[in-house]
This record gives sequence, structure tokens and C-alpha cells, in this order.
Amino acid sequence: MKKFMNDPEHFVDEMIEGILAAHPDKLAYAADDLRCIIKAGNKKKGKVGIATGGGSGHLPLFLGYVGEGLLDGCAVGGVFQSPSADQMLEVTKAIDSGAGVLYIYGNYGGDIMNFDMAAEMAEMEDIKVQQVVAGEDVASAPKGEEGKRRGVAGIFFVYKIAGAMADALASLEEVKRVAQKACAHVRTMGVALTPCIVPEVGRPSFTIGDNEMEIGMGIHGEPGIHRGPLLKSDEIIDQIMKRILEDLPYKKGDEVSVLVNGLGATPKEELYILYRKVQQILKKEGISVYNTYIGEFATSMEMAGASVSLLKLDDELKRLLSSQASSPFFAQFQL
Amino acid sequence: MERLNIEDIRSIVRNLKIKMDAKRDYLIELDSAMGDGDLGITMSKAFTAAKDEAERSAEILPGKLLIKLGMAMAKAAPSTMGTLMATGYMRGGKAIGDIESLGTGELAGFMDAFVNGILERGKSKPGNKTIIDTLYPAAQSLLQAQRNNKSLKEGIAEAYTAANRGMEESNQMKAQHGRAAYYQDSSIGKQDAGATVGLLFIEVLYEYCR
Repeated sequence: MKKFMNDPEHFVDEMIEGILAAHPDKLAYAADDLRCIIKAGNKKKGKVGIATGGGSGHLPLFLGYVGEGLLDGCAVGGVFQSPSADQMLEVTKAIDSGAGVLYIYGNYGGDIMNFDMAAEMAEMEDIKVQQVVAGEDVASAPKGEEGKRRGVAGIFFVYKIAGAMADALASLEEVKRVAQKACAHVRTMGVALTPCIVPEVGRPSFTIGDNEMEIGMGIHGEPGIHRGPLLKSDEIIDQIMKRILEDLPYKKGDEVSVLVNGLGATPKEELYILYRKVQQILKKEGISVYNTYIGEFATSMEMAGASVSLLKLDDELKRLLSSQASSPFFAQFQL
Repeated sequence: MERLNIEDIRSIVRNLKIKMDAKRDYLIELDSAMGDGDLGITMSKAFTAAKDEAERSAEILPGKLLIKLGMAMAKAAPSTMGTLMATGYMRGGKAIGDIESLGTGELAGFMDAFVNGILERGKSKPGNKTIIDTLYPAAQSLLQAQRNNKSLKEGIAEAYTAANRGMEESNQMKAQHGRAAYYQDSSIGKQDAGATVGLLFIEVLYEYCR
């Protein structure tokens, strides 16, 4: 293992200390706990607060989307571990301005249990809380069992859409509605080329052979749907796009936004080679592309690999996607 | 003893802390065989926090106090079992409402809500080799005692018998949840640490009321 760190035990806290030191005007923390990240500055009166949370090891996910026109707070867990319900509650209390709080997070057992618990405790403190659980990885469960799917990079779209809606001072029910709509319209599938290493473990917890790839592997190394020899990038995208397109399904005449996400160790050059083929397939299928996001949005430590996400747009989603937003990790002008 | 008042609740919580501390290494040993071995530490932390909160809080209604104990446990022991236990207290406390003391019926209501809270939060059911397999029979037994107009002392004694029977049965079950689920068939015959915690919980109640 080769990592820049001091003590593995302090990996997450020292990462947060660095982030806060770099962006003191944008981020702060609540309840005297570094793991309770909130937006710096005053709360906007009447605005629904949006909180997320999850394990570390996925930057810019999750705390990287705390920012203007995005999220208001994030509970930060250890590497690949859920934050605690109490940390989620502290974030909730810090970001509520009276209009209620929406939790948006990925479909993982530990996170669900703790967010459920936090919501119950928040209710006892008279804070209205609603939840939207994102799960769009088509490789993680078959069609018909969408509720079992893991949340991966496509959650970025859900954050962006909900963040824009909350910024326009929509009600908690309205923000929840568009977040759910974004979830229903997004699909993702990924491919891994190398494993990742949890700092406190110190070695890969699984292996992928030198000339192998695993299609559909999760962002914590959860088993995918096919392990085999590394194919040419166009062939990989053919397989991934087939599964994504037929799942929703995305059809001729649809308009989509595309996210090609790097898992941590894959250079942007390769992500663009992947996108080249994604665009060719969409063109052939008669599906138009509104906006393309290429880079790292949800990583898995130093894993080499990538995922492709499509968000099917309608007028409302397009309007919400296009608004400006900024955080230390993501910024976009009005499209 | 016919009913448990707020001071009884405080004493029971103190006894629970003493029991969990005494069984800490035993629970660690049981949990190490099938889990990650931290259950003894988690329970000791959770019940210490509950005891501290019970002593600090000036609450005079049992239901309100029990909810506060749950919140304190959630903060102090943010692991799966800590969160489940905290959920049990919060739901149980809510179920009691504003009454000033607990008889057989109220205790049955508390335990029933306690168990249902854990089932819902943990997305589990009886028979999966968890804490539920000792607490569920105990709660059912208390509900039965309520229907039969049994005294608190009798009701708890029967619940303790039911929890012990549940413990024995759970030893033969196959683990379905958490890390223990990886052991599947080899978990059969082993004693589950979570079910043991459930039994200890009922044991403290029994020892206090007998």
C-alpha cells in the first residue's frame, strides 16, 4: 500500500481538517464534531435543508456536494462506514431553518438504519424530515427489484436537481418530489479494473487479475455481474450501454444528461475515450444529449474504473439541472 | 412489587449497566466467534450512557425518561446494536405515554413496542438468530400475562422463562444478519451474542422484581 497519510486511524479526520482549512468561507462543522459538515454562513430563511451522509473514501461524494444550489449538510462516516444517527441528527438540527429537512443518500443498510433513526430523533425535536434513498446501479439488482439497487454516481443528479428546487424555496414535499423523480429517471452501471484499499485495512480486500475487469462492481468492491478478460473500451461501453438503455428504457426522441465518472485512478483521457463511444451509441439510438459531465463524481479510493450514468430529462428536470451551483468540489454556471 | 415507578426504572437502568459491565468480556468472546467482537464494548457504552442520563435527568414520567435514555444510547453507541437498543427504548417509551408507573400491561406494551422498533429498524424477523429471538418470546409472554391478569412479578418470571427458552432455540438457528450471516451453516449450534444481550436485559428485570 502506498498512500499519503499519517496514522490510518486519523485518515478521515485529517482529510476533513484539510478540506476545512482550504475552504473556510464555504464549509464549516456543527456540534463541535468534524464529521458534521455544513455550509458556512447564514441559513436562508424558509429554505428546505438537504442533508446527505455516507462513508468516506468516495470524494467528491458525499460532502463535496455541500454548497450553493446543492446540499446544506453532510454526516461523514469512516472509510466505507456509515456515519452515526447522532451525527446525522446534529447536521439536521444545524441546517433546519424551519422549512424541514430532506435526507438524500444511497441505498446501503447501515446508512438506511442510521438515517431512519436520525429522522425519528429529529421528529422528537419537532423538525420535519423526509427521505429519498437513491439506488440506480442496474448491475446490483435486476429490473423489478429496483428497491434493492445500490446508490452510486448517479446520486449526483439527484443532489443537483433537489438542490436547485430547494434553492428556489420550494416546499419540503416539492423538493422530495423532484428528488424522487430524478431517482426514477437515472440509471448507472460501472466497471472496475483494479481493487481499492481501505487505509485501516492496509491491503486490498479483493483482487482483480492483471488482465481482468469486473463489470458492475460496486463502489466498495461489491460483486458485479461479470468478471472476465479486459476488453477494448468500445466493447465495454457496448455492454454497459445496452444494460442501461434497456433498463429504463431510454428511447428514441429522449433527451438525456450523461455522467462519465472516474472511480479514482482512471485518467480523464480514458474517460473521454469511453464517452466517445457513449455518444456514438446515443446518436445511433436517436437520443439527444443535453449536458455532459466527465470527471470524478463518486470514487472508490484508488480503484481504477469508471461508470456511466444517464438522466432522462423533461422540462422540469432540465430547468433544475441547468441552474448554477457551486461547492469546493463542483461548480457550474447557468447552462 | 405491583408496579414500577420512575425510581424503579432508574434502579433497573443502573442494574443493567452493572450487568453489561460484568458480562462485557463474555459478550466480546461470543461476538468474536461470529461478529467483529465489539458487542461487549458497545453494550457497556450504551448502558453506561443510559445510566448517566437516568441520573442526570429530572424527568418524572417513565415514558419520557425512557425516550431520553434511547437518545443518549444512540449518541454514545453508534453501532448497529447500539442503534437498535436505542430504537427499542425510544419506541417503548413512546408506547407508555404519560402514565406514572408500569404494571404488567404497561410493561407488556413497552416490550412489544421495543421489539417492533428493533424489527422495523433492523429489517429482521424472529428466527434469524438475533436479539429478537430472546426479546420477542419475552414480549409475547408479557402480553399473554396481561391477558391473564397476572401480577408484574409473575409476568416477568414467565417472560424470563420464555427468554431462556428463546435463547436455547436461537442456538440452533442459522444467522441471517450482519457479519454473522457470512457463517451461515457454521453458525448453527453457536450462541448468538445479540440474543444473549436480550436475555440479560430480561434477566435484570426479573432479578429486580422477584
